[in-house]
Amino acid sequence: MTMRTNDLFRMALHDIRINGSRSVLTTLGIIIGVGAVVLMTGVGRSMEGVILGQINTLGPRTIALWPGKGPEGGASIGSDYQAVTMRDVEALRQLRSVTDVAPMILLNDPATYGREESEASVVGSPPAYYEGVSLEVTAGRFHDESDEQGVRTVAVIGSDIARDLFFGRDPVGERIGIGDRKYTVIGVLKSVGSQFFQNQDTRIIIPFSVARTIEQRDYVDMVTMRATGDIDAGVADVEYLLRKRHSIVSPSDEPAKNDDFLVRTAQQAQDILGTVSLALTLFITMVASISLMVGGIGIMNIMLVSVTERTREIGLRKALGATGRDILLQFLVEAVVVTVFGAFIGLLLGVLLDVLIVLIARSFLAAYIFALNPYAIVAALATAIGVGLVFGIYPARKASRLDPIEALRYE
Amino acid sequence: MTAPAPLIQLQDLQKSYFNDGMETPVLHDVNLTIDKGEFVAIMGPSGSGKSTLMHILGFLDRPTEGKYVFRGRPTEKMDQDTLARIRATSVSFVFQAFNLLPRTSVLENVTLPLLYHPSIPASERKKRALRAIETVGLTDRATYLSHQLSGGQKQRVAIARSLVTEPDVIFADEPTGNLDSRSGMQVMEALQALNDDGRTIILVTHEATTAEHASRIITIHDGRITGDKRDFRRRVAKDGAALK
Repeated sequence: MTMRTNDLFRMALHDIRINGSRSVLTTLGIIIGVGAVVLMTGVGRSMEGVILGQINTLGPRTIALWPGKGPEGGASIGSDYQAVTMRDVEALRQLRSVTDVAPMILLNDPATYGREESEASVVGSPPAYYEGVSLEVTAGRFHDESDEQGVRTVAVIGSDIARDLFFGRDPVGERIGIGDRKYTVIGVLKSVGSQFFQNQDTRIIIPFSVARTIEQRDYVDMVTMRATGDIDAGVADVEYLLRKRHSIVSPSDEPAKNDDFLVRTAQQAQDILGTVSLALTLFITMVASISLMVGGIGIMNIMLVSVTERTREIGLRKALGATGRDILLQFLVEAVVVTVFGAFIGLLLGVLLDVLIVLIARSFLAAYIFALNPYAIVAALATAIGVGLVFGIYPARKASRLDPIEALRYE
Repeated sequence: MTAPAPLIQLQDLQKSYFNDGMETPVLHDVNLTIDKGEFVAIMGPSGSGKSTLMHILGFLDRPTEGKYVFRGRPTEKMDQDTLARIRATSVSFVFQAFNLLPRTSVLENVTLPLLYHPSIPASERKKRALRAIETVGLTDRATYLSHQLSGGQKQRVAIARSLVTEPDVIFADEPTGNLDSRSGMQVMEALQALNDDGRTIILVTHEATTAEHASRIITIHDGRITGDKRDFRRRVAKDGAALK
């Protein structure tokens, strides 16, 4: 080989420049492939951040308990929604491994203020609930034990309810309607966005004693609590207690098979998120690989056209003293350089689109922040360069093997 | 004291093409000696084998049989890379169709052979290319792109490109074939001037009037040399515009 490396690169840049639009077409597949990877993994990261943030607002020690069956099997939800009773809650309060045991009764009534109406999920729960799920108020206060004792019709409302009913005015002290009762607003919750696709800002929290008086029932819809020490020990105690109280016997290899309740922790939610996120990453990787492969075939096709179009040039170069290896390297370097160009354009486009999505998403999801997946970017760039090399070889070999006389005669 | 070896020596050279096992002979028993500094025209009708002969002489093709000794060295056993190296350093070509790189400047076109030259350093390329461009009188066109030039100018760029490596021999294959008579005259004037400077030029043409600009005319018919004359009145190309 007589050519110098910088000659090869300069030549490649020159050829790419004088064939501007064709160069872009050559690398379109790579641009789209890399752009898609950057964008999709970036959005994935941002979403993961949002969901993780929400899980973490639950607190690492929060344990949630629902009546009904879990994914492991057991009875169906319909038949067992009355499974967890106030007597179970009292028994749970006796456990040393958990604290802030807060039963919950859910009401499905819209909230009204004057002529305004807003969809709401009304939660009747004792003050311990606020501790269990780490809530904060931006105005007013939480309800307390005296509100519970007095069965006072007071309400702590979510930020979306405050916005929909009061349009920015201070709701504290105002009276809203829920069902056929009126409640005094005593606090507004800080926005936390969605948790598991359910908007948490449309929540209204009323004293548990009030909800129980309305519903007149002994079973609850959910119980939250916090582990005092090791969370797994807390979960084990809760499960043991409830199985004993509900006389549940399951095969030893499937201890939860016959459970009529479900216990979940933030850690488990994180684990599920991790699994979902891994599956998503694998899916994106697969789609991206196919896209880059298609991009590579595009490069090969257009490089083959380019070799045919430049047959005379190849003949000339050989006549001027280029070896087959010189020609091979020239076309290979050109394929790789055009791919790298495409990869960086794709990277830029992906980042720009990601920024755009962040700007849009932030308007309704405050916790959405810009994120990129550096591993995915490096992998996409490396794959793109590899694709350029692999798919550049065939056209480059074809070029290097042209007979100079035939090539010079080519019309 | 022995006389210096001739530049080119062909001995019983044969060339055949093979297609599906069918042999098509193109050159028969060619014996030829060309010395340094000659201006030789190889003349013959199309299909006579003159282009094949030029391709063999220029190391673009190999003979089927016979000997080709270049500067005293036999070439039959040289591998492809060695032949490429000889093309890069010792021979150069001017083609009928100019074969300039499109959308590329005159300077870059003339620099092109230096990319493949094993011993000329990159730092000297521009200087050499500008000197070659000056020789053909196109200094003021050095930054022009190849498609902005007239046919005659393109061929002079091609001549500058053939000079830039200072080869032992320049092959010109119908260099005036695509040009009007005045541009053709300028190109012949340039080639004669180069020969006057001591360069060896081998011109391939089917036109007697073009061939007569050389100092020796070898005629070829059906793959055999049928004539080799030196004692004729050489035409002198004079246009005045070609060279400074």
